[in-house]
This record gives sequence, C-alpha cells and structure tokens, in this order.
Amino acid sequence: MAERRFSFFTPGQYAVLALLAATPFIDLAFPSIQLSGPMRTVVVYAILALGLNVVVGWTGLLNLGIAAFMAIGAYAFGILTAEIYPFQVGFWWALLLSGAIGAFAGWLLGAPTLRLRGDYLAIVTLGFGEIVQDGLKNLQTITKGTEGINPLPKPTIPFGAHIDAALSKVGVGSAATTDSAGTTATTALSATESVAGALPRWFDISSETPARWFYLYLILLAVVICLCRNLEFSRLGRQWFAVREDELAARCMAIEPDKAKLKAFAAGAALAAVAGALFASHLASTGEPANYDFQVSILALCIVIVGGIGSITGVVLGAIVMVGLSNVVLPALTQAMQRAGIGSTENVLSSPDNYKYLIFGLALVLMMRFRPDGIVHTRKAVKK
Amino acid sequence: MRFGGLTAVKDVSVEVKPGSITAVIGPNGAGKTTLFNAITGVYEPTEGRVLVAGRDPQREFSSRVTMGIVVTALATAIFLAVLVRVEVLWQAAIIDNYVFQQPFPWMKAVAAFFTTFFGGGFFGTWLPLLIGALLGGAGRLVIWSRTRRTPDVIASAGVARTFQNIRLFPELSLVENVVVGMDRRLHTGFIGALFALPSALRERTKARMDAMALLDFVGLADRAETAAANLPYGHQRRLEIARALASKPAVILLDEPAAGMNPTETVDLMRLIRAIRDAGTTVVLIEHHMRVVMGISDRIHVLQYGEKIAEGTPEEIRNDPRCIEAYLGKEELG
Repeated sequence: MAERRFSFFTPGQYAVLALLAATPFIDLAFPSIQLSGPMRTVVVYAILALGLNVVVGWTGLLNLGIAAFMAIGAYAFGILTAEIYPFQVGFWWALLLSGAIGAFAGWLLGAPTLRLRGDYLAIVTLGFGEIVQDGLKNLQTITKGTEGINPLPKPTIPFGAHIDAALSKVGVGSAATTDSAGTTATTALSATESVAGALPRWFDISSETPARWFYLYLILLAVVICLCRNLEFSRLGRQWFAVREDELAARCMAIEPDKAKLKAFAAGAALAAVAGALFASHLASTGEPANYDFQVSILALCIVIVGGIGSITGVVLGAIVMVGLSNVVLPALTQAMQRAGIGSTENVLSSPDNYKYLIFGLALVLMMRFRPDGIVHTRKAVKK
Repeated sequence: MRFGGLTAVKDVSVEVKPGSITAVIGPNGAGKTTLFNAITGVYEPTEGRVLVAGRDPQREFSSRVTMGIVVTALATAIFLAVLVRVEVLWQAAIIDNYVFQQPFPWMKAVAAFFTTFFGGGFFGTWLPLLIGALLGGAGRLVIWSRTRRTPDVIASAGVARTFQNIRLFPELSLVENVVVGMDRRLHTGFIGALFALPSALRERTKARMDAMALLDFVGLADRAETAAANLPYGHQRRLEIARALASKPAVILLDEPAAGMNPTETVDLMRLIRAIRDAGTTVVLIEHHMRVVMGISDRIHVLQYGEKIAEGTPEEIRNDPRCIEAYLGKEELG
C-alpha cells in the first residue's frame, strides 16, 4: 500500500466512473437504444460486488450468500417505503436504514459463525442465502410472498425543487417535464429548449428521467467507492489484510481476528443491503425472492474475481463487463436480432441472451488461465 | 504442555530478568518452540502459568464479561421469541392497525405488539425466551472461556514474538507490516476509518513515521514500499523483528533469528539484538548458532526431551558436561 494521497479517488477509479458517466450521452446520441435504465443494474451490482470484495478480497473469507443481504436490504427498503405499510420514510431514510439493517443482519450471522474456518464458513453462508430466500417466500403476511412488495417510490433528489428554482433563475433551468409530477416546476424557457434541444431537460434534476436516475445511482456508487477506499487505507483495512495473509501472525500482533472479521462481514452486508435497496428502487418493487438466489451470489463473486480481487477499480470494471454483458448488451442484441427477424422466440439457441452463462464460464476459464489475479492486479508479491 | 498422551514440555521454568538477553537452547525436538507457543498462547498450556511482571495475562471474568453474557442472553431471547411468531406479531401490530393512507396509530400498534408478544402462552412466548436466553448466554460464556488466553491477549500484555518459519504478511509492504505490529497502540475505530476523520489520518501518518524509524533501526528503510514476500530471507527475519518491536513490547521472543543467515548477517543480527536490549526490551531467544548464543546471552537455559537440564551463564553452560552430552553425544571430544 503506497502512502495515501489526499484525493477522493485514484486515477483508475476516476476512469471507471467517467466510463459509467458517459452512458446517458450514448442515449442522447442514439435515442433508439436507451441504456440508462438497464445500466442502473450495473451500478447496483458494482456496489454489491464492492461489498463482497470487503469480505472475500480484503479479509479472505469466502461468502457464498451475499445475495441474502441484498434481499434483506431490498425487503427492508420495500417495507419502509411501500404505501401498503405505515412507515413510508422516503427514499433516503430507507436507503440508510436498509444499510443499517443489512449490517445488523451480517453481524447477527457473523457473531456465532465467523470462528469457523474456510470451507465451513462458505457452507454456512450458502445455507444462510437459501434460508433467507425461503423465509421471504413463506413469510407471506410481511413480504407478500412471490408477489413482492410494490409499488415502491422512485428516488427523490433532496432539495430538488430548490435546485430547479435556482437553475431556472440563472437561465439554465427547464420546462416542467411530463414525468416530474409533484415538483415546483418552473416556467418553460422555450427559447433555450429549442436552441439546445434536449439538453436543458437534463438539468431538471428533480424529475426522475432515466438519465438523472442513473446519475443519482452513479453518485451513490462514487460515495461507496470513496468510503471503501477510506477503509482500505485505514487501521481496519490493515487488520483485514493481516488476517487474510496470516491469521496467527495477526493474532500475535494483538489483533483480534474475530472482531476484525465481524466488522468486515457487517460492512460487506451493509453494502450488499444498500445495493438491494437500490435494486428494489430500480424495479419499483422488491420483486420475488427468487431474484436474490444463489446465482446472484455467484455473479457477484465472478465480478470480484474477473475484475481483480481486492481492487476497487477492478471490481467496478468487473461489474461493467459482466453485468453490462448480461443485462445490457445481450438483451439489446436479442432485441435487435428479433427486430431484424434473425432470432425467433421458439429457438432458444438463436437468442444471444441465452448464452450468458456460457460466456461467463468461458470468461472465468480464460481469466484463470491467463490472468488469475483479475483485470486489475493488486498483488505486489511475486507469485510462488 | 501435553498433546494427548505425549508430554512435549515438562516442568520447565524460565525466569527472565528485565533488560537481559536470555537464550533457550537444546537439540532439535527438545520443545523450545513448543515452550514459546505455550507462552504466547498459540497453545493452551495443560499446566503452568506465564507471569509478565508478576501478572498472568488473561481475560478476567470481569463485570464486562458478565454484562456481555446478560445482554447477549436477553437479545437472543427476544430475537428468538419474535422470530418464532413474527407473522402473528406483524399482523397484530401493523396490518390490523393500518388503514391505507390513513395516519398510523403508533401507540396502539406498540401496545398491540406487547400484548401479542406476551400473550403467546408457554410455547409461544416463554419457551422461546428461555431457549434463547440459554443459547445466547451459554454461547457467550463458551466464547469467553475459549478465548481467555489467545495470542492477542498475551500480545496485548506486552509479549511480542517472531516465528521459526517466518510469518510475515507477504502481500503487504514492509512499512505496512510494521504498522500492523503497532496495532495495539492505535485507536482508530470504525467510524474514524470509514470517513477518514482527521484524527485517524493523523494517527496513520504518525504510525507510518514510527514504522519508518523502526525499519531504519533494522536497516530496511530503503525498501519500505516493496512487498514483504520480495525480500531476501535474511531481511525477512529482520522485518519480523521490526514488526514485533513495533508494539513496544516489554518482552520479545525470537525464535531462531539467525537461522539461514550468513556470517556477516549473523554479526549484524547480534548487534541488533544487543541494541534491542539496550533500548530496554527484554529479549528471549531460541538459537542453534552457538556463536550467537554464547556471544550475546546473559543467561542460558538448556532443554532436552522437554525437560530443563541446565541453566547458567554462557561460561557455565560451555563447561557443563550434560550440555556437551546433549549436543555432541557421549564420546570424548577429540
């Protein structure tokens, strides 16, 4: 670890954030494809994988049930915001509380089980993932079973109306767009509108068009990256690395591995829960419990491994590559092919969407063969 | 110290004067490293104690432990009792009271929650509470009793060590390795770490400066940012010593510090160990290099087959017939 330079992000992190930030511009250039909506899932999975990275990459504990914490976050968010329940605390409080509930759940699972070694812990987390999923399915009174809790409100931008008003005063502001119900819309500046085309609408922060919604998620991702980086370079991060590298030696340095691991577990679970909350908000529903099954945990693990275990930049890049492929590129390709009449719905082999896991498997095999440390290396040591 | 039926170290008592260098020697398999492991808590000694400045470093059964047990027992009890009837409670507290888009009667809901919670009868309320309390309390008690004398407790009491087969953190840089050793003197908590609060950053900068000073002391400052795994063997031993010193221990246990070193490195090492002693740290070492042992020790203890066969100054040990026998066998010296 080099001495921390006092900046929010490393150059690599700036690069991946900039890469993501470019998405809405693609929408602007090619209005027919509309990536901002599906790209939100990339951000969600990036946060999920960053949470997993704390546990797997930094502390060296294999967690195969991270999706359970995502589910807990999603359902906590659902219960706290849905109109069918009395809480309705709004997007931001619900997001914070989901994170806290996720951390608590992680702590609850970790406290009795983190003394298990290696494979046994993996089995416990695997089982926990299944238990949570089944529990959510069967606690019908609370979770509405397979229906999921819906509808959930879209995120609101704090002080959005005020920002709008301020912007309209300086002339950048915008017309009240059709989807900005409930905001104190400003007067239409038709001149600006016609001159710059769609651009002014962009600055109408308070209305949740796909671009703004995406940027909101991206800002949250940036905050998560910044906090992760703080942890990485802190005393706690050092304790995690020490436990990962040699638990006995760490113990002999007066570090209590159990406590360090518990903190890692709770931090990872909190991030996963935040990802779950954002996922629920993205779908406007918690969806059914099967949305948070074992495959999600494995996908998160693949993201961490392909991107570069232990590297924040790598993990975000991994999310862009893996989730971008499965949730954005392949569905778009499938749609395009169907529109062109190449693919048919009857023939499963003709739809690129169905090759997702084949490509994942291939990617993993190739990565393991040619670049076992992931796209972005963190290891300085020479491999023995 | 026994492993099953095998007695590895028996009735060995080593007294170490503060500010001295004490060596423990003996043929391979005599139990020297086992002795170190028993002292530092890697093994739980089957009999005997370790006293540091007259105190036995252990997690006491203090009021904090009692509190912990009570709180855990209560928390698990409530958690379990809520968990087994979570749907009933939810129905009574939330669903029965909430009318769509009407203000929610919070007090009524809380009252309904408690009535339902305690209205579960023996199997609904009291049995889960009892089981939860027993599970939580017993679990916490077991964890306490099993971690009474773990290496971190011993290390916190001011006993640092190095390992016979080097155990560095290979992927961390030299300076990070040393800062990890410093951990018991640092105070940054989770919040400070998460938000990189000024106090945490100050502490970090200070820790790194101290670590650089220590690296300088063992002569590795010029490679501070390389990964520990990339160091040559002899340097790794010195780094391990620096890491052990970083906690400012009262006693430092060195397990074969000169193993695998060439003669010049050995001479440097002897100088280093003397410097550690002169800085006020008590040194106990296991060593096979007789030149090192005889050259720097104030007192030597000799082990054979897990028992102490001699103790004395280097001069006395050199002339002790049993020690000569232990090392060289019974034949006459030629």
